[in-house]
Amino acid sequence: MSALIQVNNVTKKYGGLIANNDISFDVSENEILSVIGPNGAGKSTLFKMISSFTPTTSGEVLYRGERISNLKPHVVARKGIVRTFQETTIFKSMTVRESVVVAQHLRAKASLAGYFWGSKTAKEDVTAFGEYADELLEFLGMSEIANELASNLPQGNLRALGIAIGLATDPKVLLLDEPFAGMNHDETMNMVNLVRSVRDERGVTVMLVEHDMPAVMNISDRIVVLNFGEKIAEGTPSEIQNNEKVIEAYLGSADDEIGM
Amino acid sequence: MEQILANGVYLGSQYAMIALGLTLIFALMNVLNFAHGQMYVIGGFVTYTFYGQWGVPFVLALVMSCVTLAILGALIERYLFAPVIKGSAREESTMLLAAGIAFLLDALILIIFGEKQRGVPKIVDGVFNYDFRLIMPYDRILICILAILSIVAFIGLMQYTKTGRALRALAQDRTAAQLMGVNVDRYSMIGFALGAMLAGLVGGLLVTITGVNLGMGGPTSIKAFMMVMIGGAGVISGAIWGGIILGFMEAIGLAVLSQYGDITYLLIFISLMIFLAIRPQGLMGKPWG
Amino acid sequence: MGFSIQQLVAVGVFLLAIFVGVPLLINATGRWDFYFTLTSVALLAIASAGVWLTFYIGRINIGQGAFALIGAYVSAILVVKSGLSFWISLPAAGLFAGLIAVLIGLPILRLRGVYFAMITLVLTQVVTLTALALPITNGAKGISNIPLPSGVSIFGIPLIPDFGAMENTKLAFYLTACILMVVTYAALYRLVNSRLGHLCRSMQQNEELASSIGVNIAYIRVVIFAISSFFGGIGGAMFGSIAQSVYPSTFVVADSVNFMLNCFLGGLGYVFGPILGTLVLYFGWDLLFELGKYQMLVYSMILIAVIRFLPNGLLSIRFGKGNNK
Repeated sequence: MSALIQVNNVTKKYGGLIANNDISFDVSENEILSVIGPNGAGKSTLFKMISSFTPTTSGEVLYRGERISNLKPHVVARKGIVRTFQETTIFKSMTVRESVVVAQHLRAKASLAGYFWGSKTAKEDVTAFGEYADELLEFLGMSEIANELASNLPQGNLRALGIAIGLATDPKVLLLDEPFAGMNHDETMNMVNLVRSVRDERGVTVMLVEHDMPAVMNISDRIVVLNFGEKIAEGTPSEIQNNEKVIEAYLGSADDEIGM
Repeated sequence: MEQILANGVYLGSQYAMIALGLTLIFALMNVLNFAHGQMYVIGGFVTYTFYGQWGVPFVLALVMSCVTLAILGALIERYLFAPVIKGSAREESTMLLAAGIAFLLDALILIIFGEKQRGVPKIVDGVFNYDFRLIMPYDRILICILAILSIVAFIGLMQYTKTGRALRALAQDRTAAQLMGVNVDRYSMIGFALGAMLAGLVGGLLVTITGVNLGMGGPTSIKAFMMVMIGGAGVISGAIWGGIILGFMEAIGLAVLSQYGDITYLLIFISLMIFLAIRPQGLMGKPWG
Repeated sequence: MGFSIQQLVAVGVFLLAIFVGVPLLINATGRWDFYFTLTSVALLAIASAGVWLTFYIGRINIGQGAFALIGAYVSAILVVKSGLSFWISLPAAGLFAGLIAVLIGLPILRLRGVYFAMITLVLTQVVTLTALALPITNGAKGISNIPLPSGVSIFGIPLIPDFGAMENTKLAFYLTACILMVVTYAALYRLVNSRLGHLCRSMQQNEELASSIGVNIAYIRVVIFAISSFFGGIGGAMFGSIAQSVYPSTFVVADSVNFMLNCFLGGLGYVFGPILGTLVLYFGWDLLFELGKYQMLVYSMILIAVIRFLPNGLLSIRFGKGNNK
């Protein structure tokens, strides 16, 4: 397998504070890779740098050999690397279907002016967006709530909506920000299955940041572990489970982090 | 040079007080108080009425300005802002309300005090003259000292009293303050009253120098907005810095560019825009978004 | 997207009312002064449409007076000093306002919420002061004696009659203003319901999420601000032409605040809200004229009461909350 995303010696400093120090790893095509670590380990910062929501202090991130760090977020999204957010970041007064339709705008064939004048291509786009939105919501099991306002949805559905919005952009790589946070066991298992089917059936490479250890062990092909901004381990779930440094890092921090 | 410095200190101290009130109200309630300039004007007219017309001692007239504005601020918060903040889905409604209140206060000023320019007798006579390099009337010096003392008193109030601590907690995090047992409704009202009072106090102080008229409200609000943007909205030190910086820029501009008329303010505006492009949160504000 | 019969009928009735009903009514009653009032409403509604559009990307714009003033000056200078036809100066005024908006927008559109509102308010003051300071705008004296719009004809076929040769310029200006307003709002409606409008809405609700799905938020912000200011420039230029003069005080901070109020009062969720808001505010102000020095008091009290009890705008009475048409 070739490396789809390469994280090369990435460092992030905020003033004197080092959030990430010299982190390197690869993400292969079509794998599910998780980044875990105790609170404050620098997981979110790393994620923001990969999606160009924040610049790196040094080092770079490559996608198929092309630099994607230190750009604008929308440029990275257009290359097919799309991140999701935690549940509060949604289009509050749009319905689920509207959100998914709007997220497909990158697939548009007609120009903005074409839409304004109502060109033929624009009309075809609109139909295609609607059909794809319905298909996607069906796939995610969200057809029933398609016409609900996002602000009226319960927490669990919001996470799924975030993923639906991300998927609607037709990404090559989906970066999921704590997809299991705050979920009970059943909800987590549903989400695990969903993420797995996104990879299996849609061929999307998935990278996720997560606290929930059992879910991560269950879902990941490989895991990268961060602690205090440093990468301390990388490997398959079974390798990570038996890694002494990892066990030490987790035992050394608040014990509820493990969640086991 | 000495003259410019002295003018800068004098203007800066007045401006800082105006900006302090505005920033306090903003920090507590996330309300942009469009009516701040009108409150300043009312303060001026109250002092004018008591001191200038009825011959009440100046200090007492100042107290009356403070009391009037504190009551007015408390009423406005209690019966207008608080219900609108609670009842509206959009935060913009408060801005709309603030604009409405600015109109209302303008109307009240017109009806109660009329539209004429009003001035009061000098509080102290004489001019301080240092070798013709620094000339400053004594009343300006006195007003400047009073303004600085008021700012010091305000900072002391915010730092060392129970009310001040509650207000700071409220400004930092409304929900957290509530959980800590701060009576949010009560302190919002107190804070608003305090902010309005500061505006009234400056109005009362400055009426002795510049006089007061109906049309001063809007431009004063705009200057206050600029100071708050320079310093960073919702930060006390930012308001003081903003006031001092604007005061000095104006003092320098008026001295150097006086032959070009209003170009001073044009240049200040343009530099403000460039400054905000580089530092959108202002000097002391926290970065956001 | 189709229109329902009801919507078509409503639009038809509205067009009939402004193009046929109003002139007939004014003819019958002899209240010629209403033409000026209604013309003003139409032009202010055009500028307000711009403010509404800026709100659509989540920015509170209290700077439209600045762009209206820029438009008025550009048109006046082109007509008086360069001898151009008003009909060429009108789009030029809009484009120039749009260009300035791009230059100013690039730095300031990064600001959000109250910060953006404050800087746009300051902007209005800047333009007024600039008009006072620059030689080309003739300082406080302003530009007066602007000739009325001349006629336009192509191959001898008159398209627009010469306003100077007309007996009744009031009606002509009224009809012109109404046509401009209808075109503006038709364009606004299309824009809002097209892809650009959907992207704007996504930005209004969450800029981070919008950029994560590939929306170039910085670009769209500037484009929208430019369109918004274009409307402001057009409205202002037409206003100057009717008054035949423009001064630094033609549009001041209070006007910028009023443009904002028009939008809020009509309801931000409704494309046609600003028309209603402008009509109600302008007429309300006019009707209260009889009250003399109590005019402002009553006006502001009504305004405050509306905000207090109808926080989502006048149109919210009919359609209920959250409806976005």
